[in-house]
Amino acid sequence: MDKAVLGLFTYADELLDAAKKLEGSGYDITIFSPIPLGHEIEHKLGPRKNHIKYFTFIGSVAGLFFGLLLTLGTAAMYVIPRGGRPIWSITPTLLMSYETTILIGVMFTLMSFLFFSKLPSFSKKIYDPRINVDYFGLLIDGNLRGRYDEVERILRDHGANEIKRVEETEYNS
Amino acid sequence: MAPHHMSDNQTGDVISYKEVNDDVVRTMTETGKWYYIALAGAFSGFLAFWILPWAYQIYKGQGVSGLNTPDFWGIYLTNFVFWIGISHSGTLLSAILFITKTPWRRSIYRSAEAMTFFSVATAAVFIFVHMGRPWNFYWTMPYPNQRQLWLNFQSPLMFDVFAISTYATSSMIFLYFGSIPDLAAVRDRVTGWRKQVYSALALGWRGTDSEWHWLFKAYTFFAVFIIPLAVSVHSIVSWDFALSKVPGLAKTIFAPYFVVGAIYSGSAGIVTLMIIFRKAMKIEKYITLNHFDKLGMLLLVMSLLWSYINVIEVFTGWYANTSAENETLVYRMFTTPYAYMFWLMIVTNTLLPLLFIFKKCRTSILACLVVSLGINVGMWLERYLILTTSLPRKFLPYMWHDYIPSWVEISMTLGSFCFFAMLFLLFVKLWPSVSIYEVKEDIGIPMRKGGGHH
Amino acid sequence: MSGLLERIAGKLRSYREPGYYTKLDHKWTMVIDLDKCNGCEACVVACYAENNLPVVGREECEKSRAFSWLRIERYVEGEYPDVKVKFIPVMCQHCMKAPCETGCPVYATYHNQDGLNVQVYNRCVGTFTCATYCTYDVRRFNWFTYKWPKPLEAQLNPDVSVREMGVMEKCTFCIQRIRSAKDTAKDESRPVKDGDIKPACSQSCPTGAIYFGDIQDPESVVAKLAKSPRRYRLLEELNADPSVIYLKRVMGDGTSSHE
Repeated sequence: MDKAVLGLFTYADELLDAAKKLEGSGYDITIFSPIPLGHEIEHKLGPRKNHIKYFTFIGSVAGLFFGLLLTLGTAAMYVIPRGGRPIWSITPTLLMSYETTILIGVMFTLMSFLFFSKLPSFSKKIYDPRINVDYFGLLIDGNLRGRYDEVERILRDHGANEIKRVEETEYNS
Repeated sequence: MAPHHMSDNQTGDVISYKEVNDDVVRTMTETGKWYYIALAGAFSGFLAFWILPWAYQIYKGQGVSGLNTPDFWGIYLTNFVFWIGISHSGTLLSAILFITKTPWRRSIYRSAEAMTFFSVATAAVFIFVHMGRPWNFYWTMPYPNQRQLWLNFQSPLMFDVFAISTYATSSMIFLYFGSIPDLAAVRDRVTGWRKQVYSALALGWRGTDSEWHWLFKAYTFFAVFIIPLAVSVHSIVSWDFALSKVPGLAKTIFAPYFVVGAIYSGSAGIVTLMIIFRKAMKIEKYITLNHFDKLGMLLLVMSLLWSYINVIEVFTGWYANTSAENETLVYRMFTTPYAYMFWLMIVTNTLLPLLFIFKKCRTSILACLVVSLGINVGMWLERYLILTTSLPRKFLPYMWHDYIPSWVEISMTLGSFCFFAMLFLLFVKLWPSVSIYEVKEDIGIPMRKGGGHH
Repeated sequence: MSGLLERIAGKLRSYREPGYYTKLDHKWTMVIDLDKCNGCEACVVACYAENNLPVVGREECEKSRAFSWLRIERYVEGEYPDVKVKFIPVMCQHCMKAPCETGCPVYATYHNQDGLNVQVYNRCVGTFTCATYCTYDVRRFNWFTYKWPKPLEAQLNPDVSVREMGVMEKCTFCIQRIRSAKDTAKDESRPVKDGDIKPACSQSCPTGAIYFGDIQDPESVVAKLAKSPRRYRLLEELNADPSVIYLKRVMGDGTSSHE
């Protein structure tokens, strides 16, 4: 199994500098952090895509049509007059569709989140439990054969507190 | 490690990331004897005051309650509306404050969202409690069946079924997905059975850049969905009443009235709960007086809005000048015992919160506790009055009959508070009840060069 | 092709009209002549006997849980000795725009092709919405499982179900009699004649104050009585379009009751 290099940092700006440098040199990097660093990463490494919004939109539209189909369809299939109202009553239909729009929109957002973030994943992954406390991690993965020294030097130059070579199977998360 | 730069944050004297983890995990792992006493009390109260009377009622029939022919909706529906109202601040407030990036949200929102979810659960049980044949509740679900009967989507109760199930689902998702990073943090700290449970709950979260990115995007959408949803839920609850023709219930102002009332009572519920919670869990440095200051302002604004709508409600009833409307108003405002309740409600919901004009009151824990408890009592009375003063005074005076709750109903009302307390007590032990990563955000991102936070 | 589209459009349009009410098979209507009513409550007793209504006893009655589908409302006006007592029989008004029907989430109450507001006991889950929405307070709820003591169960009407605990019920215009009259007419291959159907209250009324029939048949007694200048309907201003028509009682001094 190929080894990867994990550098642990105390300061986010040092981590980001190292990440920029390494990415510029063509390494596969993964940043770990105890808090979301969205703004800082986008600022440093460029903006990222938001695919979830398409799924949210599709889900909401699907939910709207599901609600319309459910209310209008069942009313038309089983015609049961009540209260002197038309079989297709507009306001209640819109109300029900409103709720199903939200429900299915939320469901699609949830599914797309799980899909894009590749969660849940219970297989063995590289990880260090200190990342969830107060360390920022930078994982350099991929084909590093013969380039460990360069990577470790860059990490050290940027102020990494700890640098270790880790197996893919190091930590069972 | 070096202490982080101390920023202009909302939480008191928290200085390091590690301390946050330690404090939150401590609330989950270190359990004093008072916790067990409280949990046992809540659980036995839940059994004795709710489950047993409910079983008795199911066995004997709805007749053991105090309901009668004109007044078919009594305390059960009062409690239903009350708990739905309590649920209305947690998730809604959390979502609004998230969208507007308000910093004081961070340390209180998790427990506020839990409050939402548990009070929706409590309210949902009251739907079953008030039904004549609760074992047939699934007939209100849209599933294809052999009876060739579908559901009446024109019924406001059907709106309720959809709105509340959507609301419960969405707020649960909102709560859970906001907690995943913290569940992972807890996973890394605990051992034994807890390790396995939190490993499963954390879904294998590692805190990578892409996980954060997608979580944040999805979470934003959840928040955007929650806001209109919460508003629609309580509007729909109000239409249970407002779509009838009963004097005192058929009012067009009911939807905004209920939404405002719900946010009002929910915020008061948050204040009460936070006071107890921070004291019991010794996390005063996370939930500070600054939070109560902000929540106090919110309560003050909601109090003014609520009072305004209440005046409008009485005014339109009086202005309509039909004999039925007049009778309902007189019955509510000037007839014992309802007059006492009505004017007590005015005192607790309109006059008492005016104390919050003064910053000294907003930042005094005692004042906050008194006012928030007063508001909760007042809001419960409001819902009680809405139901018990309109239904006994419908159009035909021959059928007028007062409603007196029976011991079964009063006991189940007490039991619902025990049920809620039980759920919340379990929550604080089993779930990171203060958001670890967002409190850390509040402390600021540690930077070698330049300033602390963004 | 255009014919097909036309048909589809017509079908869709029909869903938007409450047209199912204009094409009723019958529109059963009750006319109650208050001038003839003397408030003897024979109709109430007949209703109890015909429809298997439980007698709940004094305590439950005091809690306003009496089962009378049909009740005589009494109103006393004035101080003694100048007292006027007014009374009016009230049962389910079978509103054409019934508030109760839209309230039920499971269609336990709906409108049938005879213009009746029917209650499906087996479908009822007991949400109380119909009874709360009812502006006439005519719906009755089975608070307990009611039992008939030993010899009394023999008098139960076999044509009418005994309702279970937890369901709502109300006046049906004696739907079992309507059904049997329609069956007889069908066997004899003729339409239902006016006077074929007499609900229990109408049958038992000693003064014949309660008339029942199909108002869609212009020759029927109710259709003629419904044109009376004394006609009014209870709480008509609420726009529920009730099917029970009252004829005002004219007092000795020329004033009428119920104004």
